[in-house]
Amino acid sequence: MPLSLSDPNWYPIASSEDLPFRHVYQGQLLGRELAVWRADDGNVNVWENRCLHRGVRLSIGINEGQELKCQYHGWRYANRSAGCTYIPAHPADAPARRIENRKYPVREAYGLIWSAANDEKPFAPFPGAEGQSWFALRPMPVNAAPEDVVAGLARLAPDDQPADLLPGLTVRLGEIVYFVQPVDAGRAVIRGLLPETPADALAALRHHNEHLTHLRDRLERAAARKPAPEPLQPIYEKVSADLATMPDIAVPRGNTLNVVVSRKWQSADGVIGFELADRDGKHLPTFQPGAHIDVHLPNGLVRQYSITNGPGDLLSYVIGVKQENASKGGSKVLVETVREGDVLAISEPRNNFPLRRDATRTVLIAGGIGITPLLSMARFLDKSSLPYELHYFTRNGESVAFKSELDALHGAVHVHTGLARDAIRGTIDQVLGPHQFANHVYICGPGAMLEMVQETAARLGWPDEAVHFEYFQNDKTIDASSAFDIELARSAMTLHVPAGKTILEVMREAGLTVPSSCEQGACGTCLTTVMEGEVDHQDVYLNKSEKASNTCMMTCVSRAKSARLVLDI
Amino acid sequence: MTITLYDFELSGNCYKLRLLMSILGLPYDIVPVDFFPGREHKADWFLRLNPFGQLPVLKDDDLVLSDSGAILAYLAKKYDASGQWFPDDPAITAEILRWHAVADDITATSSAARLALGYDYDFDIEKSQKGAHRIFRLIDEHLWFGEREGRDWLCAPSHPTTADIACFPYVMLSEEGGISRQDYPALRRWTDRVRRIPGFTVMSGIFPAGPAKVD
Ligand SMILES: N[C@@H](CCC(=O)N[C@@H](CS)C(=O)NCC(=O)O)C(=O)O
Ligand code: FES
Repeated sequence: MPLSLSDPNWYPIASSEDLPFRHVYQGQLLGRELAVWRADDGNVNVWENRCLHRGVRLSIGINEGQELKCQYHGWRYANRSAGCTYIPAHPADAPARRIENRKYPVREAYGLIWSAANDEKPFAPFPGAEGQSWFALRPMPVNAAPEDVVAGLARLAPDDQPADLLPGLTVRLGEIVYFVQPVDAGRAVIRGLLPETPADALAALRHHNEHLTHLRDRLERAAARKPAPEPLQPIYEKVSADLATMPDIAVPRGNTLNVVVSRKWQSADGVIGFELADRDGKHLPTFQPGAHIDVHLPNGLVRQYSITNGPGDLLSYVIGVKQENASKGGSKVLVETVREGDVLAISEPRNNFPLRRDATRTVLIAGGIGITPLLSMARFLDKSSLPYELHYFTRNGESVAFKSELDALHGAVHVHTGLARDAIRGTIDQVLGPHQFANHVYICGPGAMLEMVQETAARLGWPDEAVHFEYFQNDKTIDASSAFDIELARSAMTLHVPAGKTILEVMREAGLTVPSSCEQGACGTCLTTVMEGEVDHQDVYLNKSEKASNTCMMTCVSRAKSARLVLDI
Repeated sequence: MTITLYDFELSGNCYKLRLLMSILGLPYDIVPVDFFPGREHKADWFLRLNPFGQLPVLKDDDLVLSDSGAILAYLAKKYDASGQWFPDDPAITAEILRWHAVADDITATSSAARLALGYDYDFDIEKSQKGAHRIFRLIDEHLWFGEREGRDWLCAPSHPTTADIACFPYVMLSEEGGISRQDYPALRRWTDRVRRIPGFTVMSGIFPAGPAKVD
């Protein structure tokens, strides 16, 4: 029976032992080349062996623990999602990238790594698999057609105990099960399993290896007498342009997903940790260090929280929430009413606080709850063995959040507790020092601290591009003095926006239902696509490149520089 | 002491010496020899250094040496204070020389295929590729059982020796000769280990490995 590219069966493609940490294994199944790697969390990834950038083999790339880095131009892809997390040619840029490599299904079982060409069939154990502690033999690659290899294995059976041919190119000979991995039309790998670890494992491995070597030599001699079969011609279905290329501008899509609160705990005095997971245990979308999610609260409010996770940690997002005494609305609801097991809607991750990974020195400065995005950044830098210093200022020792996560870092982590304002200023002064080429500082914390760091950095000669921070609140004074027309393309309406009124208000007065939440240009709910006209952006939600693209706007605060705006409403 | 390496940048045999000297932290000068396309290794001045007309040649003060394996042994015996790279033990010396010979077989096959494909050499490509696969199969098996026996390197000691340096370059460059290493997973893992030796250095076509996992 000839091999089919669309064969839905699961086949072993490697032994578990073939995948030590920080290694990339090169495999192949039904003609398709695979890059296979184990992340530091144990998860095995089976991906198409091509970088989306220039098609270079990912099997020569670097397994950085939770990300795979392409050897050529350094694109990085996340464990589990295969989502691209960093493009060195755009180090300061973080549109919501959706670049994602092709992945294949994967299972680790019985000492083997299994995969399939497509998702059609769920993984099922081979007959008789359960109840044994299988022991894998040394795999034996054979340059012969997989069906000939199956036949050759079957011929090894003694006359009184014929071989048992199981579905999926599998042969059982007595207690040994042999799987034939169809590498290509003329190539296979024999992967044998013994039902338990033999008493003298090494002797048994050598014995079976010798046995299979003889079989291989016979099969290859026979194959050499026949015309070589045509190799399979896998069609590399192009990853859609949407997924494979860097969008000039990623208009945030406003999709929400439902997650369950899988854990809620007191991380420190005044800080509650929340772990949010997919309800079916699937991985969540790729995020970049510094990214945040919008959390839709039961009382209808939307609040932003930074993801604290490290690279490739996609089974849940962990956020930290400040337990404010006098907090109105936002955090209070999360802290007081949301419980473990509750379902919340969140947005896909967005990043307005991108981390460059080409700095010679990275300084991370956190004040209080501001540790959350910086913890994520530190974890990314840590995994890539890039140098960084994290300075975390808290009121006292009890308010140090995410302590065990900080302890697990290898970089320079300094916790400064109980310092008075002047002492904080002095420390920051010392920590920053005069600016040097390719130094970058990232700050997250209370407004006063942000200003202090910005001031200090400016005084020490740090240029604006080297000082990074993020706003969750719009503290800017909104200039509502302009007057202009808006043309609503889908509603076929033209409205006038006078000075002192927002676009949002004018649309509502005209009877349109348009969503909004914070109404200060911080949450992203009122995001609207712009078709024509020049926008006067006044929000803190869109990042620089999004603003510059002039393709979207926040109607609650932003206005027009041109006399007319055409909106997709 | 003044060490001078007569070197061609793209030669794996010259790279062996750069690699060991980098690991040992030995300073040396380079005299570039235009092997391709200039064929300077057949020029009179070079033949006076090595009548066999082959790179690399290494000069240590007045001593002139050729053959990469011989030079690896010399450098290790003379300059490696740790005694690890070419141990005195007779059995291990024999093991290492055995693998130096394999390294020459790898040059005759994998390097020949690369020269034929990339440098216009008139070698039998298919024969060279087949020969390389035959050797890679045996090394993969040796290394696979080594991993089971707690031996991470080609020879018995629990650390790399010049045997690993000698075999490494043309294993790593095999794809330039159209020889895939997909069927040799243990060999591929060993190339990660070699690339993690402190002091490791690269050449064109050989990339560094990332750091190992630290807990
Ligand atoms: N066994 C020698 C082989 C050296 C060798 O093949 N060198 C190549 C350059 S990488 C060469 O000079 N070839 C020219 C020739 O053999 O004529 C060694 O290891 O040094
Ligand atoms: S080909 Fe992978 S980053 Fe360019």
